[in-house]
Amino acid sequence: LLRFLSGLRCQLYPPQRALHASATLRRASDEQKKEPLASSPQQQFDLHPTDPQPDQEPQGPRSSYTGQGGQESEDYESEEQLQHRILTAALEFVPEHGWTAEAIAEGAKTLGLSVAAAGMFHSDGSELILHFVSQCNTKLSDLLEQEQKLVQLGETEKKPTDQFLRHAVEARLRMLIPYIEKWPQAVSILLLPHNIPSSLNLLTSMIDDIWHYAGDQSTDFNWYTRRAVLTGIYNTTELVMMQDSSPDFEETWRFLENRVADAMNMGNTAKQVQSTGEALAQGLMGAAVTVSNAETSKAVR
Amino acid sequence: PAAGASLRPCSTRVALDGINKPVVDRIIRVDHAGEYGANRIYAGQMAVLGRSAVGPVVQQMWNQEKDHLKKFNELMVAYRVRPTVLLPFWNVAGFVLGAGSALLGKKGAMACTVAVEESISDHYNSQIRTLIEEDPEKYKELLQIIKQFRDDEREHHDIGLEHDAE
Repeated sequence: LLRFLSGLRCQLYPPQRALHASATLRRASDEQKKEPLASSPQQQFDLHPTDPQPDQEPQGPRSSYTGQGGQESEDYESEEQLQHRILTAALEFVPEHGWTAEAIAEGAKTLGLSVAAAGMFHSDGSELILHFVSQCNTKLSDLLEQEQKLVQLGETEKKPTDQFLRHAVEARLRMLIPYIEKWPQAVSILLLPHNIPSSLNLLTSMIDDIWHYAGDQSTDFNWYTRRAVLTGIYNTTELVMMQDSSPDFEETWRFLENRVADAMNMGNTAKQVQSTGEALAQGLMGAAVTVSNAETSKAVR
Repeated sequence: PAAGASLRPCSTRVALDGINKPVVDRIIRVDHAGEYGANRIYAGQMAVLGRSAVGPVVQQMWNQEKDHLKKFNELMVAYRVRPTVLLPFWNVAGFVLGAGSALLGKKGAMACTVAVEESISDHYNSQIRTLIEEDPEKYKELLQIIKQFRDDEREHHDIGLEHDAE
């Protein structure tokens, strides 16, 4: 059974990993609970501290034969979903309270829970931000998937690469608009050492997703170059957006357009440099052969 | 809800649900790197021995490796696996190994081929074992491909032995 579960575990994608931090805390807070029902299903999960999402695994088969323990594992699963719901509800209060425990507390209140529920999470608001980022990435993937279906059905034209990248990055960045006032705070929290693995993970998988839908099929070093370039474009555009005060962020989209154009030019320039280099090399070889022939014929005379 | 794990209607993609992604990722990445390196080794050998008597033999083995590489390129895109970051290194190292062994003469080149193909087939064998342990049904297509390639590599190994002994 554990093997089956570990197989399932491995296919879960980054959006779920944002809950890693909350899962860890949840286990810590569980240990503090004085309930005698801290039973075996839970212990089994604690035996796998590197397990990123123990809570995502189906509890059904397990709870059926553990009686009271089964009840505990049902709670275990819905608590994860509950955290999800609290964080989603908390987003509404971010513009007012920032990415803080206050926002989470307000979110918990709207769900009819006590404000103490905010104690389940880190005090620096990390999980809230990671949850938000993960949600945005999922929305972006769904959007790109939908658009791809339309192209396949022939209902829309496939966009050229530069337009596609601009569209994808703009769509993703627009999701920040409601929270743009507090976004600089979020970025600085995401850069804290203990958040870097998760935030980097979310960023790289988002960029990989965008390239995938853009139709990237590179299997050589270009795979890395393209993703590095797009990451640079995304990050710099995000920074510009945070200090942009133009109507509907038009300065930001213009900046984005220029950066993407630069990136396309870079690709062409690289190709030109390569072919010039090859032509030069051939020219030099030709010259060398000619000279050596001339020397040989001179020697013969 | 796992984003990106849904079935894609496009034919170049594969159903990514239910497979052990980390294991498959690693397998495809390593095999791709291996075939890429093998390609470069044969390219190096051809650069030196291309016009000798053994040229056609090496060329034929090289053509098969090219097919292998092409197949792994397709698998890489289908399973959304990232290529190894050491590709530029294998590019040079492979060529140097091939050319270097060929400069030692036909026997050197063949000995190199034998050694490389031996280790590649062992490698493929252990991957086949891993996949069979996981789930032979789920990975049927992948297993078929790897088994076929393993057989090809063994053939190269035997050809190398044959020419090495002459």
